[in-house]
Amino acid sequence: MAPLSRSSALAGLTAAVLLAAGCGGGTGGGEGGEPIKIGVPVPLSGDYASAGEDILRGARLAAQDINQRGGVLGRKIQIAQADDACGAQVGAQAAQRLVSSGIAAAAGGYCSTAALPELNTFHRSKIPFVMDASTNPQLTEMGFAEAFRTIGRDDQQGPIAASFIVNDLKAGRAAVLHDNTTYAKGLADAAAKALQQEGAQVVYNDALTPGQADYTPVLTKISGAKPDVLYFTGYFAEAGLLIKQAKQLGADFQMVGGDATNDPTLIKTAGPAAEGFMLSTAPLAQFLPAAQDYVKSYQQAHGAQPGPYSVYEYDAVSVVAEAIEKAGSAEPEKITQALAGIKGFQGLTGTITFDENGDRSDPVYIIARVEDGKFAGYKDLKDGQWVDFG
Amino acid sequence: MSQFLQYLVNGLTIGAFLSLTALGYTMIYGIIRLINFAHGDIFMVGAFAGYTVLVAAAAAHVPVALIVMAALVAGMLFTGLLGVVVERVAYQPLLSAPRLAILISALGASLALEESARLIFGAGFSSYPHLLPTAGFGVAGVRLTYAQVGMFVMAVLLMVGLYLFVHRTMLGTAMRALAMDRDAARLMGINVERIILLTFFLGSVLAGAAGVMQGLYYTQINFIMGFLIGLRAFTAAVLGGIGNIPGAMVAGLLIGLLQSFAAAYVSARWTDALVFCVLILVLVVKPTGLFGERIVERV
Repeated sequence: MAPLSRSSALAGLTAAVLLAAGCGGGTGGGEGGEPIKIGVPVPLSGDYASAGEDILRGARLAAQDINQRGGVLGRKIQIAQADDACGAQVGAQAAQRLVSSGIAAAAGGYCSTAALPELNTFHRSKIPFVMDASTNPQLTEMGFAEAFRTIGRDDQQGPIAASFIVNDLKAGRAAVLHDNTTYAKGLADAAAKALQQEGAQVVYNDALTPGQADYTPVLTKISGAKPDVLYFTGYFAEAGLLIKQAKQLGADFQMVGGDATNDPTLIKTAGPAAEGFMLSTAPLAQFLPAAQDYVKSYQQAHGAQPGPYSVYEYDAVSVVAEAIEKAGSAEPEKITQALAGIKGFQGLTGTITFDENGDRSDPVYIIARVEDGKFAGYKDLKDGQWVDFG
Repeated sequence: MSQFLQYLVNGLTIGAFLSLTALGYTMIYGIIRLINFAHGDIFMVGAFAGYTVLVAAAAAHVPVALIVMAALVAGMLFTGLLGVVVERVAYQPLLSAPRLAILISALGASLALEESARLIFGAGFSSYPHLLPTAGFGVAGVRLTYAQVGMFVMAVLLMVGLYLFVHRTMLGTAMRALAMDRDAARLMGINVERIILLTFFLGSVLAGAAGVMQGLYYTQINFIMGFLIGLRAFTAAVLGGIGNIPGAMVAGLLIGLLQSFAAAYVSARWTDALVFCVLILVLVVKPTGLFGERIVERV
């Protein structure tokens, strides 16, 4: 039984290879007709599979739109996926498989843990890698010419929030509160530093103990310092309680949160008190006026709202296509050069210009606000000025 | 000065919830010398029982006061019965076994309750509907809400009720007799098994009440919420002298004040650390607590 099934499997494989070769020859019809492959390494198994699936959908929608417009250089864009399972080892293998399959560029990634070895692999093969979701600052600071990203960095958010608090809310006195987790403390430190640079006085900077139900003591303490604004960089569960209890205490400072407060639980916990709460966050596709068509076609295709990163993946694939067009070639090294020279590209998530590291020079963070029981875009930083979002 | 008073008020509010929960620990310890680790989870189940009633009642058009009372009563009854069931299933078969066996059984009961709640209600947060008014008033620069005052009065009434029950009724006298000497109580004709069940019922009712009140007042609940408050209430029970009912009431308020003043004069990041330092200090320096009489270990 066993030898028989092995030989039949082999026969099937041979047939498949022949068929694939035949197809390539049939539709190619010359050099110009062959599709350009863009590799998308994302987790398609494990805990983060749903996030990876969402990103892959963004990539496919981008390729579909580009191909409907006639492709690039007269050739179609083809998405090649690889499962990195959000792991370092699997990620390196996935990237290697993509390289072997002859991709011109890579656009994707989710977990920074997997993105790091993937970036290393692409760097060795001189293939550009535009990341859509990995926010760890280290990724674009290793001196690799091939590294780009369409999402912000963790250390960009603090200065943006500080600028909003000082320049738009006109706060002279600010309080900063975190919960002692690595992420929240890092954001709080960055924000406190930026607040001082912007000319505000940081009158309180401390942590609370997460997991309590009652934060009135710490809120009373903060009230005593008389801040105009409280910037809380911890998570949504504590933020919801803080908002509600600050209202009960009659506190008169404005509360602003970091991107970890972007969760509907906050609104459910705080109830009516949540109205007017503001937060610094990377905008969801639903907030972005330029992305409304994208949200519609995503919903039509998949019957669900797009997840947080698929629109950044859409822009990653689009910006790669733009670079290929500009370079006039699908050779990886030329695409890398063209990407480095991208200036003022109009993506769905805003204007994309890459700085010397490959990060966006116009950071993606915006200020959102709770309106009518929902998060909505509120303010946006344009040319150093805070303007109404949209 | 007004800030000091505000911390005092905040601390007493936190403490009222701790006192209610600490009473269950202390009563159960007094009767069968068991630190009931499942007690914090009974509190959590109370919060979810009230939540279930409120969500179901939200569809019907019933006055808010009635809904709140229904949730409170349902939460208390359900946890009371659950306390009885836990005692029957997990503790009674082990009452004459070595002390360690029943302690481990209590840990098991705690995990079973937590995981059941996680399976039924999910690992995320559930939110009580916002029923209590958020309005308040100021006295001498101190800000109070009507809900806060209501919660505190409710907690005090429940505690006074318990005190009167234990000290003024036959059943209460039987409970105290049992706490003093189980065998002598049995010889006096007290039905020991029934009094133990009654103690679990009452302790769990108070925890259930605290759970529903917590949900109503703070609105955010989840399956693990009983763990930390359980540990803090246990600390209060030890500080008040474990087994001592008025001691637990006073010590609960003291721990609440400690949490509040720790945030005020040390740092909010140290609140839990300081509370559990108190636990260690009491255990090392004065294991009988502030109001505990010397416990003679019977052989």
